[in-house]
Formats: sequence, structure tokens, C-alpha cells
Amino acid sequence: MTERNRQKPAKDAPYPDLITNERFRECMRTPHDVGGEDDVPMQWEEKEEEVWEHNTFVTCEVLAWRGVWNAEERRRRQNVDLGNSNYLAIPYYGRWLLTAARILVDKQHVTLTELIEKMDEVKKRYE
Amino acid sequence: MAEKHKPAPMVDEVSEFEVLEIAVRELAIEKGLFSAEDHRRWTEYMHTLGPLPAARLVAKAWLDPEFKKLAVKDGVKASLDVDIDWIGSMPTNFGTPSDYCNLRVMEDTPKLKHVVVCTLCSCYPRPILGQSPEWYRTPNYRRRIVRWPRQVLSEFGLQLPEDVEIRVVDSNQKSRFIVLPVRPEGTEGWTEDQLAEIVTRDCLIGVAVPKPGQTSNDPRPVHPAKNPYKH
Repeated sequence: MTERNRQKPAKDAPYPDLITNERFRECMRTPHDVGGEDDVPMQWEEKEEEVWEHNTFVTCEVLAWRGVWNAEERRRRQNVDLGNSNYLAIPYYGRWLLTAARILVDKQHVTLTELIEKMDEVKKRYE
Repeated sequence: MAEKHKPAPMVDEVSEFEVLEIAVRELAIEKGLFSAEDHRRWTEYMHTLGPLPAARLVAKAWLDPEFKKLAVKDGVKASLDVDIDWIGSMPTNFGTPSDYCNLRVMEDTPKLKHVVVCTLCSCYPRPILGQSPEWYRTPNYRRRIVRWPRQVLSEFGLQLPEDVEIRVVDSNQKSRFIVLPVRPEGTEGWTEDQLAEIVTRDCLIGVAVPKPGQTSNDPRPVHPAKNPYKH
């Protein structure tokens, strides 16, 4: 249970008079700013790396090497722009990967149609 | 299935992550954003990384008081002595895009223990320490180590006396940290190589301390990958 999960207003999309300044400031906190939040002990584990995780890291670094983005922009996109739900729901390198896909579309290096068609083509290789 | 003796497929179902990764990489190459050769060279660079250079830096600092002063004052300059060039490293020749050129070496004393975190993401000194462990990236570690460091360290098997102060250093995009632990007793007369062997990755993050005879991290469960990357 994190701080931001507490003090829910009485309803979703509350009326302006139903949200306190404290709650508003809590909502404005970025999803990656987790230091000091409550949590319970967990089993510390090591994890094997998936092939796609390794390749994602390399792709993101090479995109920066070749000037498509820089590390600050990447961090903002993968730590802030994803929003709270996806930030916590998606694996660490999954956030990197979504962000890499979005940068190609947002900066008009590829169209959304090209991306979807490429994904369909890749899926067919596995059928 | 009709073909009873057909070997089981490698994967039951290709994951959306796997599909998207291939799509993004291939599109980036097709559009000329980077080349397949760039990707291959970066992968090869990744294979050269690991915790050994940082362990050697600690061993050198234990053996040479002048080098220890340099390491604490200027970690990037001291890294050159263990063959890590933060600024001019391959393959970019301008360092790595995600790991800026400021390494700080935090010196423990018998009454002061440092431990490293990155609460805001998972910043980690990759050029000198390799890829971060998964637990270091978890929201749980990032949430709790700054608030209950003594308890979290005890969960890693490091019980510190109450009179030892714990200082948690929080990484950010510009500054990366490694811990320079206290040289343990029982290592008198050891060579640099012998000393470096007991400075594990966990010691360099600060969740463990070096012990004569222990040359790897404490054992803990390993979550297997579905399609593991072979280093």
C-alpha cells in the first residue's frame, strides 16, 4: 500500500471542491518517485535476463548513440509519461521497450501503421 | 497433437514484448536510425562489462593509500587504473548515453556503512559494475532501503550493530556510486587479485561486506527466463 493509494476522494474525477490541496499534490507526484513509500518485506531474488530484455537495452542505448533521443528524454518517457498504473504493472525493460516504440512514432520515424504491420509480420514468423 | 514425437516448441506463445522488440529494432534499422552493426557492437561492449573492474578498484585502494585518496576524490580518474574509461569508452567514444561520467566512491569506516540505491529509477554504474541485479530495480528495494535501511540490510544477511551509522546514497542520472568497504581482517599480505576476489557485486552496492573465503554473492533464488539471454 503506497501513499498515493490512500486518501482516495469520494468519487472518480471528483468535483473541484472535493479534492484537497494535499490530495492534489499527491496526484501530481510522478509514478517513479517511490522512495520512502510503505511496503512489506519480499524475497530478494536474482533474475535471468530474457533475450528481448537484453536487446531492448541495446536498442535504447544505440538510439541515443545515434541521436534519436537522449537519456533524459528516455527517462521521462519511461518513468513519468507511462502513468502510475503501467509504471507498476509492466516489467522494467518492458517500460524501456514501450518507450522506444513510442519515440519512433512520436518523432515520425515510422507511422503507427508501419509499426502495427511490422508486428503482424513478426507474429507470423512464429505461427 | 497428431505428431506425438515432435519436440516441444521453445515457447508456448511468443510474448507481445518479444514481438515489439523485434519490430522496433528492425524498423529502426530499416529506417537508417542505426545499423545492425551498431547494435552488434553495443552487444559486444555489454559482454565486456561486469563487477570485476570495481572490485579491482577497491583492492587497489586497500593496498595503496594514495590510490584510495584518488578514488574517493575522483572516481572517474581512478577508474582508468582498472581500465575503465567513462568518457572515451567504446563503442561511442563519448561514454555511454545512460551512464554519465561522475562516479563517486563511498568509503566505509568501522562506524559508517554506505549502501546504494536509485529511488527514482535504477541508475547504476554500468561501465564499472555491469548490469544491475533485478532486486535493485524493484520498487520494493527503492521504497524501503531509504526508510528502513537497517532492516533491509538484515534481509540481505547483513546485521549491523546499532552503533554503526548507515548512509544510503541515492543515485541520479548524473551521479553513480560504488561502496569502498572496510578491508576485512584475515586478509593481511594478500595480493590485489586475492583481495579483488572477495569484493563481490553485493559488496560494491553495499548490501554485503567482504569476507575471506566468500567470492560470490550470497545465494538467493533465481527467477528463470522463458528465453534466456546467453552471456
